[in-house]
Amino acid sequence: MLRNTDTYDVVWPRAARQMEIAPAARRHDTLEGKTVAQLWDYLFRGDEVFDHLERGLKERYPTIKFVSWRDFGSTHGADERQVLAELPSKMEALGVDAVISGMGC
Amino acid sequence: MLRASAAAEKAGIPSSSLVCEGFIGQACTTSVGLGLPNLPVALVPGHVGTQNAEELADNILSVTLHDVISNLTEPPAQVLTTADPAPRDIIFSGDLDEINRLFLDNEWSDGLPIIPPTTERVEAFLFFTDRDPDEILAVLLPDSRSATVWSVAVNGVMAGCRPEYMPVLVTLIEAMGDPDYGVEHSGNTPGGETLITVNGPLASQLRFNNEQGVLRDGFQPNTAVGRFWRLALRNLAGFLLHKNDKCTFGNTWRVVMAENEEVLKKIGWPTVAQDLGIAKDRSSVSIARYTGSDLIASATGDTGKKILPYLADAVLKQNTWQLVFTIGTSPGTLRPLLVLSPILAETLAKDGWSKADVRQYLYDHCRLPAWQFERYLGEWTDHPINDLKDEVGLRRAPKVFAESDDRERMVPITFNPNDFMVAVSGDPLRTNAITFAHNGILGYTVAREIDLPKDWEAKLRTVR
Repeated sequence: MLRNTDTYDVVWPRAARQMEIAPAARRHDTLEGKTVAQLWDYLFRGDEVFDHLERGLKERYPTIKFVSWRDFGSTHGADERQVLAELPSKMEALGVDAVISGMGC
Repeated sequence: MLRASAAAEKAGIPSSSLVCEGFIGQACTTSVGLGLPNLPVALVPGHVGTQNAEELADNILSVTLHDVISNLTEPPAQVLTTADPAPRDIIFSGDLDEINRLFLDNEWSDGLPIIPPTTERVEAFLFFTDRDPDEILAVLLPDSRSATVWSVAVNGVMAGCRPEYMPVLVTLIEAMGDPDYGVEHSGNTPGGETLITVNGPLASQLRFNNEQGVLRDGFQPNTAVGRFWRLALRNLAGFLLHKNDKCTFGNTWRVVMAENEEVLKKIGWPTVAQDLGIAKDRSSVSIARYTGSDLIASATGDTGKKILPYLADAVLKQNTWQLVFTIGTSPGTLRPLLVLSPILAETLAKDGWSKADVRQYLYDHCRLPAWQFERYLGEWTDHPINDLKDEVGLRRAPKVFAESDDRERMVPITFNPNDFMVAVSGDPLRTNAITFAHNGILGYTVAREIDLPKDWEAKLRTVR
């Protein structure tokens, strides 16, 4: 087989990662009494999925509370950056302890 | 969805991300770029779009619920990350075949042979910019990679560009990083592909084709710059198939378009670049993402009234699910594109039509019944919208969408006449047009002026 035998010294073609690796948040020992926020991108039947999850979690943790996706607005769309930028203060104001975010489909 | 989870985790609040079965791999690679490589996900079996109510309930309660609980109560597994090479490190020495094998094996190439990015070749590209090679032009999701002038040159070499294309390549990466464009959406399932348009004196100086076959490979600048864009999405942003590029089908990169500015000047119409705010006679690139296009063959007639109904009909039919970018996902961000061949534009202009008139015509005539628009949103694309009047009431749509209660009333497909983009290119003497279906904020239309290095003309003479 014919081969081009010239040798080339090549550099890496990718760009360096810029993001610092952050630790995940500390988990809870139990969800009993905790307030869970529902974040939704308004796609792929998230409203139904959250209803099922809410029911299932309440059966297991009777004192669990939820903040509906309706209180946050879509997390995917023209307002995404603003919604996400405001998320930490909004969660603090609402006393949110944990988040369920959907739908990746 | 993962970006919302990452925002919560960084605020110290544990998250669980609901991810359908086919998207677990994408979630894992995307979370690395968000700086949280162990972002916990809860499996949603199959795809919710094909499950009946009972199946969905059963899947969520028997599988997803368990994952959500463990995501929120058990510490995520530790993840090890590896260090990247420095930009100028020689990572490999070998012949052409060995280098191409290496680049394919590491997913640095698109499947076609690449030109080996040697330091010498990269330096030749850097000769055509005054920018510092280490300058970060943009930090690009999903990998959060810092696209530098150096890395742009490397990928320009690989794509088969000529060194003098460098000002175009640098500007394209700045445009890719424009928040309005939304590069982070480039791995979505519709898999739209970006159309780049080059305007201004540089387009002819670099010999971009703007005539017959403008969108077909065959002219080096149009073809190689188009390939560069896709390589940049791969290597500088991090979109890899079967990982975080989840296009269901996808297609090859689009060959770059240049407008026929000679004809535009002759008929007194502004360029696409001018429509996007670029000053007259300045060189620029504009980008927008489209999922499809269709040719409109033989739009014959000697007046606008004869030509335009046919064109408007085709533009309307090209836009179906994309109406979620007019009302739904991102209100008012749909910008359909119509490219007229020069002879069509000249005929319209001769009949007294300005480009603004054409855009107004498209706005007035690309219309469909309200019930049909609502069906695209609520019934067919599963958006929680069933009545356009509600969206007007919530101030998420202009009043034109709720002028009566009649569900047969005709409503437009954009918010404004100027949302329609009209370009002039292609075979100067053929009466065809082509229309593109835009993807709203998943690749919004943005333009950037191209900065040339000092002594550009002298530098260009060294390679001509």
